[in-house]
Amino acid sequence: MAYELNEDQQDCLQELINVAMGQASDQLARYLDTFVFLTVPNIELVNGHGLSSTLESNTDSTAVVSQGFFGYEGIRGEALLVYQHKDSDRIADLLGYEPGELSVEEQLIDISSILTTTFLNVFASQIENQMSYSAPKLLAHTQDTVSDYIKQVSFDWEMALKVNINYQVTDYSFNCEMILLIPAAAIENIKMVIDRILEDY
Amino acid sequence: MSSSVLICDDSNLARKQVLRSLPDSWEVDVQLAKHGVEALEVLNNSDIDVMFLDLTMPELDGVGVLEAIKQDDINVDVFVISADIQPEMQSKVLDLGAKAFLRKPVSPDVLLDTLKQHGIM
Repeated sequence: MAYELNEDQQDCLQELINVAMGQASDQLARYLDTFVFLTVPNIELVNGHGLSSTLESNTDSTAVVSQGFFGYEGIRGEALLVYQHKDSDRIADLLGYEPGELSVEEQLIDISSILTTTFLNVFASQIENQMSYSAPKLLAHTQDTVSDYIKQVSFDWEMALKVNINYQVTDYSFNCEMILLIPAAAIENIKMVIDRILEDY
Repeated sequence: MSSSVLICDDSNLARKQVLRSLPDSWEVDVQLAKHGVEALEVLNNSDIDVMFLDLTMPELDGVGVLEAIKQDDINVDVFVISADIQPEMQSKVLDLGAKAFLRKPVSPDVLLDTLKQHGIM
Protein backbone atom coordinates (compact mmCIF):
# COMPACT_ATOMS: atom_id res chain seq x y z
CA MET A 1 0.00 0.00 0.00
CA ALA A 2 1.56 3.27 -1.15
CA TYR A 3 0.58 5.25 1.94
CA GLU A 4 1.83 2.70 4.41
CA LEU A 5 4.72 3.74 6.62
CA ASN A 6 7.66 1.37 6.79
CA GLU A 7 8.96 0.22 10.17
CA ASP A 8 11.50 3.04 10.52
CA GLN A 9 9.01 5.72 9.48
CA GLN A 10 6.41 4.37 11.92
CA ASP A 11 9.01 4.28 14.71
CA CYS A 12 10.11 7.83 13.98
CA LEU A 13 6.55 9.16 13.86
CA GLN A 14 5.73 7.35 17.09
CA GLU A 15 8.69 8.95 18.85
CA LEU A 16 7.76 12.44 17.59
CA ILE A 17 4.23 11.84 18.86
CA ASN A 18 5.55 10.51 22.16
CA VAL A 19 7.48 13.72 22.84
CA ALA A 20 4.51 15.92 21.86
CA MET A 21 2.15 13.80 23.95
CA GLY A 22 4.43 14.17 26.97
CA GLN A 23 4.33 17.95 26.81
CA ALA A 24 0.58 18.07 26.18
CA SER A 25 -0.05 15.81 29.18
CA ASP A 26 2.20 18.03 31.30
CA GLN A 27 0.04 21.01 30.32
CA LEU A 28 -3.12 19.05 31.11
CA ALA A 29 -1.70 17.95 34.45
CA ARG A 30 -0.86 21.55 35.38
CA TYR A 31 -4.27 22.76 34.20
CA LEU A 32 -6.07 20.16 36.29
CA ASP A 33 -3.50 20.08 39.09
CA THR A 34 -3.24 16.33 38.89
CA PHE A 35 -1.30 13.52 37.25
CA VAL A 36 -1.97 12.25 33.74
CA PHE A 37 -1.23 8.62 32.98
CA LEU A 38 0.20 8.02 29.51
CA THR A 39 0.12 4.93 27.36
CA VAL A 40 1.93 4.13 24.12
CA PRO A 41 0.11 5.91 21.25
CA ASN A 42 -1.44 3.84 18.50
CA ILE A 43 -0.86 4.64 14.82
CA GLU A 44 -2.77 2.95 12.02
CA LEU A 45 -3.68 3.49 8.41
CA VAL A 46 -7.42 3.37 7.73
CA ASN A 47 -9.45 3.76 4.55
CA GLY A 48 -12.25 6.33 4.24
CA HIS A 49 -14.98 3.81 4.97
CA GLY A 50 -13.07 2.23 7.83
CA LEU A 51 -12.45 5.66 9.26
CA SER A 52 -16.13 6.42 9.70
CA SER A 53 -16.94 3.03 11.15
CA THR A 54 -13.93 3.10 13.49
CA LEU A 55 -14.98 6.47 14.82
CA GLU A 56 -18.61 5.48 15.13
CA SER A 57 -17.60 2.74 17.53
CA ASN A 58 -15.73 5.37 19.56
CA THR A 59 -18.41 7.99 19.58
CA ASP A 60 -21.15 6.27 21.52
CA SER A 61 -22.33 8.71 24.19
CA THR A 62 -19.47 11.12 23.78
CA ALA A 63 -18.76 14.77 23.36
CA VAL A 64 -16.31 15.50 20.57
CA VAL A 65 -14.33 18.67 19.94
CA SER A 66 -12.78 18.95 16.50
CA GLN A 67 -10.04 21.30 15.34
CA GLY A 68 -8.30 21.41 11.98
CA PHE A 69 -4.56 22.00 11.72
CA PHE A 70 -2.44 23.19 8.82
CA GLY A 71 1.34 23.38 8.58
CA TYR A 72 3.93 24.07 5.90
CA GLU A 73 4.83 21.45 3.33
CA GLY A 74 1.24 20.25 3.01
CA ILE A 75 1.01 18.81 6.49
CA ARG A 76 -2.57 19.01 7.67
CA GLY A 77 -5.31 17.10 9.39
CA GLU A 78 -8.06 17.11 11.94
CA ALA A 79 -7.66 16.62 15.69
CA LEU A 80 -10.62 15.16 17.55
CA LEU A 81 -10.88 15.17 21.34
CA VAL A 82 -13.34 12.52 22.44
CA TYR A 83 -14.86 12.61 25.93
CA GLN A 84 -17.23 10.22 27.60
CA HIS A 85 -20.39 11.96 28.79
CA LYS A 86 -19.73 11.11 32.41
CA ASP A 87 -16.41 12.93 32.06
CA SER A 88 -17.68 15.95 30.20
CA ASP A 89 -20.35 16.47 32.84
CA ARG A 90 -17.69 16.49 35.56
CA ILE A 91 -15.26 18.76 33.80
CA ALA A 92 -16.31 21.91 35.67
CA ASP A 93 -15.29 20.22 38.95
CA LEU A 94 -11.96 19.22 37.45
CA LEU A 95 -11.25 22.69 36.16
CA GLY A 96 -12.37 24.34 39.37
CA TYR A 97 -15.10 26.46 37.80
CA GLU A 98 -18.01 27.77 39.82
CA PRO A 99 -21.43 26.55 38.67
CA GLY A 100 -22.57 28.70 35.74
CA GLU A 101 -19.17 30.39 35.29
CA LEU A 102 -18.62 28.74 31.93
CA SER A 103 -20.86 26.37 30.02
CA VAL A 104 -19.75 22.73 29.71
CA GLU A 105 -19.31 23.36 26.00
CA GLU A 106 -16.94 26.27 26.62
CA GLN A 107 -14.98 24.24 29.15
CA LEU A 108 -14.61 21.33 26.73
CA ILE A 109 -13.43 23.67 24.00
CA ASP A 110 -10.96 25.27 26.43
CA ILE A 111 -9.33 22.06 27.51
CA SER A 112 -9.36 20.59 24.00
CA SER A 113 -7.69 23.62 22.56
CA ILE A 114 -4.89 23.43 25.16
CA LEU A 115 -4.29 19.76 24.45
CA THR A 116 -4.46 20.05 20.67
CA THR A 117 -2.32 23.14 20.26
CA THR A 118 0.30 22.08 22.82
CA PHE A 119 0.58 18.67 21.23
CA LEU A 120 0.73 19.96 17.66
CA ASN A 121 3.05 22.88 18.39
CA VAL A 122 5.59 20.50 19.97
CA PHE A 123 5.12 18.04 17.13
CA ALA A 124 5.61 20.82 14.58
CA SER A 125 8.72 22.22 16.27
CA GLN A 126 10.37 18.80 16.12
CA ILE A 127 9.90 18.67 12.36
CA GLU A 128 10.83 22.37 11.98
CA ASN A 129 7.32 23.26 10.95
CA GLN A 130 4.62 25.59 12.27
CA MET A 131 0.93 24.93 12.63
CA SER A 132 -2.09 27.15 12.29
CA TYR A 133 -5.48 26.06 13.50
CA SER A 134 -9.14 26.42 12.68
CA ALA A 135 -11.46 27.37 15.52
CA PRO A 136 -12.25 24.38 17.74
CA LYS A 137 -15.78 23.15 17.27
CA LEU A 138 -17.88 21.14 19.69
CA LEU A 139 -19.88 18.58 17.78
CA ALA A 140 -23.37 17.80 18.92
CA HIS A 141 -23.72 14.83 21.22
CA THR A 142 -25.49 12.38 18.97
CA GLN A 143 -23.61 9.61 17.30
CA ASP A 144 -25.11 10.43 13.90
CA THR A 145 -23.87 14.01 14.02
CA VAL A 146 -20.33 12.97 14.86
CA SER A 147 -20.34 10.35 12.17
CA ASP A 148 -21.75 12.82 9.63
CA TYR A 149 -19.16 15.40 10.57
CA ILE A 150 -16.35 12.89 10.14
CA LYS A 151 -17.70 11.97 6.74
CA GLN A 152 -17.86 15.65 5.89
CA VAL A 153 -14.26 16.44 6.87
CA SER A 154 -13.02 13.19 5.42
CA PHE A 155 -15.16 13.03 2.29
CA ASP A 156 -12.20 13.25 -0.04
CA TRP A 157 -9.89 11.17 2.10
CA GLU A 158 -9.45 7.82 0.41
CA MET A 159 -7.02 6.91 3.15
CA ALA A 160 -6.04 8.45 6.47
CA LEU A 161 -3.40 7.99 9.09
CA LYS A 162 -5.12 7.68 12.45
CA VAL A 163 -3.24 8.35 15.65
CA ASN A 164 -4.89 7.54 18.99
CA ILE A 165 -3.55 9.07 22.18
CA ASN A 166 -5.13 8.42 25.53
CA TYR A 167 -4.92 10.90 28.39
CA GLN A 168 -6.04 9.34 31.66
CA VAL A 169 -6.37 11.62 34.64
CA THR A 170 -5.84 9.16 37.44
CA ASP A 171 -7.22 11.17 40.37
CA TYR A 172 -10.60 11.65 38.76
CA SER A 173 -11.03 8.60 36.48
CA PHE A 174 -11.25 11.17 33.69
CA ASN A 175 -10.44 9.88 30.25
CA CYS A 176 -9.90 11.86 27.10
CA GLU A 177 -8.89 10.38 23.76
CA MET A 178 -7.14 12.46 21.13
CA ILE A 179 -7.58 11.18 17.59
CA LEU A 180 -5.49 12.77 14.87
CA LEU A 181 -6.62 12.17 11.32
CA ILE A 182 -4.13 12.87 8.58
CA PRO A 183 -5.45 12.61 5.01
CA ALA A 184 -3.71 10.70 2.23
CA ALA A 185 -2.07 13.70 0.56
CA ALA A 186 -0.61 14.83 3.86
CA ILE A 187 0.68 11.32 4.66
CA GLU A 188 3.01 11.56 1.68
CA ASN A 189 4.28 14.90 2.99
CA ILE A 190 4.76 13.57 6.50
CA LYS A 191 6.67 10.61 5.09
CA MET A 192 9.03 13.01 3.29
CA VAL A 193 9.66 14.93 6.51
CA ILE A 194 10.22 11.71 8.44
CA ASP A 195 12.65 10.46 5.80
CA ARG A 196 14.65 13.67 6.20
CA ILE A 197 14.91 13.04 9.95
CA LEU A 198 15.86 9.41 9.39
CA GLU A 199 18.61 10.40 6.94
CA ASP A 200 20.38 12.01 9.90
CA TYR A 201 20.52 8.67 11.66
CA MET B 1 38.46 0.59 31.41
CA SER B 2 35.17 0.90 29.57
CA SER B 3 31.76 1.26 31.19
CA SER B 4 28.93 -1.08 30.35
CA VAL B 5 25.86 0.89 29.29
CA LEU B 6 22.30 -0.24 28.64
CA ILE B 7 19.91 1.91 26.61
CA CYS B 8 16.26 0.92 27.02
CA ASP B 9 13.63 2.52 24.81
CA ASP B 10 10.89 1.07 22.62
CA SER B 11 11.83 3.49 19.85
CA ASN B 12 14.74 2.66 17.58
CA LEU B 13 15.13 6.38 16.81
CA ALA B 14 15.24 7.28 20.50
CA ARG B 15 17.85 4.60 21.19
CA LYS B 16 19.96 6.03 18.37
CA GLN B 17 19.47 9.57 19.74
CA VAL B 18 20.84 8.49 23.12
CA LEU B 19 23.67 6.52 21.54
CA ARG B 20 24.67 9.56 19.50
CA SER B 21 24.53 11.80 22.53
CA LEU B 22 27.02 9.75 24.56
CA PRO B 23 30.25 11.71 25.07
CA ASP B 24 32.97 10.80 22.56
CA SER B 25 35.53 10.61 25.32
CA TRP B 26 33.54 8.01 27.24
CA GLU B 27 34.70 4.48 26.53
CA VAL B 28 31.56 2.36 26.58
CA ASP B 29 30.27 -1.06 25.76
CA VAL B 30 26.60 -0.53 24.83
CA GLN B 31 23.69 -2.94 24.95
CA LEU B 32 20.17 -2.12 23.80
CA ALA B 33 16.73 -3.14 25.05
CA LYS B 34 13.34 -2.49 23.44
CA HIS B 35 11.26 -2.60 26.61
CA GLY B 36 11.43 -3.20 30.33
CA VAL B 37 11.32 -6.98 30.16
CA GLU B 38 14.35 -7.06 27.85
CA ALA B 39 16.14 -4.56 30.07
CA LEU B 40 15.66 -6.71 33.17
CA GLU B 41 16.95 -9.75 31.27
CA VAL B 42 20.12 -7.83 30.40
CA LEU B 43 20.48 -6.51 33.97
CA ASN B 44 20.08 -10.01 35.38
CA ASN B 45 22.64 -11.51 33.01
CA SER B 46 25.35 -8.84 32.78
CA ASP B 47 27.01 -6.25 34.93
CA ILE B 48 25.66 -2.93 33.73
CA ASP B 49 27.17 0.26 35.13
CA VAL B 50 24.79 2.82 33.65
CA MET B 51 21.31 2.51 32.20
CA PHE B 52 19.41 5.12 30.19
CA LEU B 53 15.74 4.30 30.63
CA ASP B 54 12.59 5.45 28.84
CA LEU B 55 9.28 5.40 30.75
CA THR B 56 6.36 4.92 28.35
CA MET B 57 6.99 1.48 26.85
CA PRO B 58 5.02 -1.68 26.06
CA GLU B 59 5.49 -4.96 28.00
CA LEU B 60 7.00 -3.32 31.08
CA ASP B 61 7.35 0.44 31.47
CA GLY B 62 10.23 2.38 33.01
CA VAL B 63 8.57 2.70 36.41
CA GLY B 64 8.18 -1.09 36.49
CA VAL B 65 11.88 -1.48 35.69
CA LEU B 66 12.88 0.90 38.48
CA GLU B 67 10.64 -0.98 40.93
CA ALA B 68 12.21 -4.29 39.91
CA ILE B 69 15.73 -2.86 40.26
CA LYS B 70 14.88 -1.63 43.75
CA GLN B 71 13.21 -4.87 44.77
CA ASP B 72 16.03 -7.08 43.45
CA ASP B 73 18.70 -4.68 44.73
CA ILE B 74 20.42 -4.46 41.34
CA ASN B 75 23.45 -2.18 41.39
CA VAL B 76 23.13 0.15 38.39
CA ASP B 77 23.05 3.92 37.91
CA VAL B 78 19.79 4.71 36.13
CA PHE B 79 19.18 7.91 34.18
CA VAL B 80 15.60 8.29 33.01
CA ILE B 81 15.16 9.89 29.58
CA SER B 82 11.50 10.44 28.94
CA ALA B 83 8.89 12.60 27.24
CA ASP B 84 6.63 12.25 30.28
CA ILE B 85 7.88 15.43 31.91
CA GLN B 86 5.18 15.89 34.55
CA PRO B 87 6.75 16.98 37.86
CA GLU B 88 4.98 14.14 39.67
CA MET B 89 6.56 11.60 37.35
CA GLN B 90 10.00 13.18 37.75
CA SER B 91 9.69 12.95 41.56
CA LYS B 92 8.42 9.40 41.34
CA VAL B 93 11.38 8.08 39.34
CA LEU B 94 13.86 9.88 41.59
CA ASP B 95 12.15 8.36 44.64
CA LEU B 96 12.50 4.97 43.00
CA GLY B 97 16.25 5.44 42.77
CA ALA B 98 16.92 7.05 39.39
CA LYS B 99 19.96 9.34 39.49
CA ALA B 100 18.40 11.99 37.28
CA PHE B 101 15.53 12.76 34.94
CA LEU B 102 16.29 14.09 31.46
CA ARG B 103 13.62 15.22 29.05
CA LYS B 104 13.41 13.93 25.50
CA PRO B 105 14.92 14.49 23.07
CA VAL B 106 18.18 14.46 25.02
CA SER B 107 21.09 16.60 23.84
CA PRO B 108 24.79 15.68 24.09
CA ASP B 109 25.51 18.74 26.28
CA VAL B 110 22.79 17.96 28.79
CA LEU B 111 23.81 14.32 28.94
CA LEU B 112 27.47 15.19 29.48
CA ASP B 113 26.63 17.69 32.24
CA THR B 114 24.41 15.15 33.96
CA LEU B 115 27.03 12.41 33.81
CA LYS B 116 29.62 14.83 35.21
CA GLN B 117 27.27 15.90 38.02
CA HIS B 118 27.01 12.28 39.08
CA GLY B 119 30.72 11.60 38.87
CA ILE B 120 30.42 9.21 35.96
CA MET B 121 32.56 11.29 33.60
